Amino acid sequence: MKIIMYKLELEKLISTIKNQKAKQVLIQLPDGMKHKADQVADAIEEKTSAKAFIWLGSCYGACDLPLGMDILNIDLVIQWGHNKFNKEIW
Amino acid sequence: MPRLLLLDAKWEGEVKLTKKLKDYLKKTKPNSIDLFASVQFSDIDDFLKELKKLKIKVNTTKAKRTNKPLQILGCDCYPDSFKDNLNSEMILYLGDGMFHPKALILAVDKPITIFDPISDQIKVVDRKDIQRELNKKKANLKKYLIANKIGILVTIKPGQQYFLAAKKLKESLEKENKKAYIFIDDTLNPMNYENYPFIDCWVNTACPRIGTDDIININQPMINLRDALDPGRAFVELEK
Repeated sequence: MKIIMYKLELEKLISTIKNQKAKQVLIQLPDGMKHKADQVADAIEEKTSAKAFIWLGSCYGACDLPLGMDILNIDLVIQWGHNKFNKEIW
Repeated sequence: MPRLLLLDAKWEGEVKLTKKLKDYLKKTKPNSIDLFASVQFSDIDDFLKELKKLKIKVNTTKAKRTNKPLQILGCDCYPDSFKDNLNSEMILYLGDGMFHPKALILAVDKPITIFDPISDQIKVVDRKDIQRELNKKKANLKKYLIANKIGILVTIKPGQQYFLAAKKLKESLEKENKKAYIFIDDTLNPMNYENYPFIDCWVNTACPRIGTDDIININQPMINLRDALDPGRAFVELEK
């Protein structure tokens, strides 16, 4: 039986990396998709000239983005499983 | 700053009104449904057409923090988190896991029907399923009101950062002759709280689910910013 999973959208990812001429990209996956990180990193490095890096930690939402990536010269962060949200104003 | 690409990670399968769910709806006979889904399960045109055939009115309100109707986020967990009141005869959530349905349980004191399109399973949950958290939340609110030294937690994650609100809260607490200290971190980790035993109660200004889901795992009381700003409202909402 084929296990139906969540879409990685690799084509969109690869074309975005190429269009943006990104050189160093960070992959941020929610826990249920972290086991696919190698597949994503391999696809990026095989199909583009960018280097791929994997965020080890949490991925609770679009509100939970890795910080300090500019220090490492990461020029594109790709997060799966979430979309744009509205931050509440207090 | 690096650029950002957000990918929905939609479920590869098709959300269908399965025989099991159809039979369940025929048995429970709701005339109207408030429908929610996580982004992974939000392509549901055919599902909606099938529901229409059962003559069920479907309401898809917009949750405050999302950008489109139907979708729900874990932080949409208060009674005022939705554009419209959830008055339908059934609240139906499409998706897997408990994180998003739990936001609905926290927001409204009504049963939430969960349909998991992956396993074709139906489950009904309500506040009884999170009674421990709710009891602790109520106890923590009481402890906050009598606390003398309050620790206000601020994350530097931009999507959850409420530094200004934390400073305003500190000022208002000091006007009530309480001591308030602002603690700053990246990821708020419960293991770190116990290093500050002088804190009587924590106020979490980051993700509101920290002040609901995590509180049963820590010894010191903690409440969310929204509840700290208006504890009276928080007590009332626990009864809603």
